[in-house]
Amino acid sequence: MDFTLSDEQRMVQRTVREFIQKEVMPYEQQVLRNEREGRPGISREEIKELQLKAKALGFWGINTPEEYGGANLGAIMSALITMELGRTFVPFSFGGSADNILYYCNEEQKKRYLLPVINGERRSCFAITEPGAGSDARSIRMSAVKDGDHYVLNGEKIFITNGNEADFAMVFAVTDKEKGANGGVTCFLVDRDMGWRSEYIPTMGEWGPASLVFENVRVPEENILGELGKGFELGMKWIGQGRWAIPARAVGAAERLLQMGIDYAKTRVTFGKPIAERQAIQWMIADSAVEIEAAKWIVLRAAWMVENGMDARHQSSIAKLYGSVMANQVVDRVLQIHGGMGYTKELPIERWYREARLWRIFEGTDEIQKRTISRNLLKGHVKVGELL
Amino acid sequence: MDILVLMKQTFDTEEKIVLQSGAVSEEGVQFIINPYDEYAIEEAVKLKEEFGGQVTLLTVGPKRTEEAIRTALAMGADQAVRIDPGDEPLDEFGLSKILAAAIRGRKYDLILGGNMAIDTGSGQVALRVAEELEIPHVSAITKLTLQEKTAIVERDVEGDVEVVEVGLPFLATAQQGLNEPRYPSLPGIMKAKKKPLEQLTIADLALSEDELRPRTTVTAQFYPAKKQAGQLLSGELNEQVSQLAQLLRNEAKVI
Ligand SMILES: Cc1cc2nc3c(=O)[nH]c(=O)nc-3n(C[C@H](O)[C@H](O)[C@H](O)COP(=O)(O)OP(=O)(O)OC[C@H]3O[C@@H](n4cnc5c(N)ncnc54)[C@H](O)[C@@H]3O)c2cc1C
Repeated sequence: MDFTLSDEQRMVQRTVREFIQKEVMPYEQQVLRNEREGRPGISREEIKELQLKAKALGFWGINTPEEYGGANLGAIMSALITMELGRTFVPFSFGGSADNILYYCNEEQKKRYLLPVINGERRSCFAITEPGAGSDARSIRMSAVKDGDHYVLNGEKIFITNGNEADFAMVFAVTDKEKGANGGVTCFLVDRDMGWRSEYIPTMGEWGPASLVFENVRVPEENILGELGKGFELGMKWIGQGRWAIPARAVGAAERLLQMGIDYAKTRVTFGKPIAERQAIQWMIADSAVEIEAAKWIVLRAAWMVENGMDARHQSSIAKLYGSVMANQVVDRVLQIHGGMGYTKELPIERWYREARLWRIFEGTDEIQKRTISRNLLKGHVKVGELL
Repeated sequence: MDILVLMKQTFDTEEKIVLQSGAVSEEGVQFIINPYDEYAIEEAVKLKEEFGGQVTLLTVGPKRTEEAIRTALAMGADQAVRIDPGDEPLDEFGLSKILAAAIRGRKYDLILGGNMAIDTGSGQVALRVAEELEIPHVSAITKLTLQEKTAIVERDVEGDVEVVEVGLPFLATAQQGLNEPRYPSLPGIMKAKKKPLEQLTIADLALSEDELRPRTTVTAQFYPAKKQAGQLLSGELNEQVSQLAQLLRNEAKVI
């Protein structure tokens, strides 16, 4: 067994860390200030500028195949990079990437949807959740009824990230009620100007998703993504990718937070001693370090499995569950270490606290991950104590 | 335009110095390219991009130095030479003999190094190398403009700028302000491993024992004394001034 990274991986890790530190972290104070005043922390233009700077260094299209100009670095490198991005709360990621399922576009669709997304000219959103179907995505109701060479969409989607900003949506709708998720759900590429409306949903986080309303929205048949009736599988593929990207970000955030906690504990004096000398605080530091270490290797193992073409679904669920819970525990402890200061908006801790809470909900809640993990075991897809 | 760059791998500036039985411990420490050498690498790569030629790195260091070498190759250097120092003690005198011996026989128009290494801070090695090779040297440069057979160089002299013209080939050491070192690019990182890295030992350089013998020894290493709490003066301005003068004379004994 060998836990060492390759020279390339280490260099990429170091370069991204430096880039984030020198180019992105300087925006942190601005982000906190703007958000305190109810404005977006960082503008689209500023993000674009950072992305162009990174692109000049080749950091563009981390997961995008070379034929589209991407770097296509593979799962391990992406996990390492995502951990580094997680070290800042500035909502930055490298440009040049598109939702994984957009690669199922046909040639004509690629020109209108995939390529413009890769090039940052158009924005997408992924819309499966409905008011009556979240965890139970199989029970979505949005209907798509064929009318000549069009489909007519009716229904509502909710909690759609970027739903208010996107130019088009990947919408999952029922084309065959009988079959439902077993061959009766289809994914459509639906431009905003085909007539859907969106409304922003304020949340405890700094950015909000949107609800999307479809009233007799006519979508041309050629806008089916993939195949008729094969939409549910695409939806699961999309969600599958987040299963290790989310905990990777969580690891980066938790590492930065723990360092803040350690630094503060060494300087904050109460009853004549730095609080770092109190066991209560030391245990918070130790517990956090242990959990971060575990989460990091769970994520990297899941990524390693993906990279080696193995079925990583079980491991990815473990990573998503453990990483999200870990980050919530770490940010809670670090907030506690900071006392009243941690609760203020002077520091980013309370912001991270609010953001991390989402990680336990979207793209499969904690409970849904546990459901998957236990089912795999109960049904014998995975065995306890399998030889590695 | 063939350029040689002298590079050293040093402690990460963010590392805490830990003394263990009188020596600085390297356990668990991250190493980086000496920041001043990064300016030298950047300048060399920039000149190569403008005028063509090859950039060759030279470094004396243990196996771990290869990480710094790969990073410099990822920044755009073409090839590297690592000379393993072995276990014998060396000082700036011996190091410069080693580097000069490794350089003799190579083609170069310019040698660049850092103004000093941030760990030992002696700032001697590069200049000694120039003396060994009997070429001119200019230290602490902040600007380098190449002409036909000479270069116009600006150097930092304790805050002032001195402008000198110097004939090629020469050696210069880089000061902060010379340039803004680039990040290694992703394609650069991926290519770095394929670039030639020549491995030498001291034995390959045919130096005599006397040439390697340290001329200096480190007798002790210790942490700087803890800073004392300052003394606040109070009262009318006039009184404070006279108190200060008294203290400087009687306690600090500096006037
Ligand atoms: C900020 C944000 C962004 C989002 N972005 C998107 C997006 O871009 N696209 C998209 O399609 N969706 C998105 N979602 C939706 C998200 O994926 C769902 O909210 C999530 O899957 C949970 O669904 P739900 O909210 O309907 O909760 P429910 O499914 O109603 O669950 C309620 C509670 O019951 C638990 N529960 C449910 N079923 C079981 C069970 N069988 N056993 C035990 N416990 C159970 C859940 O874990 C949860 O605790 C987003 C949500 C948020 C908050």
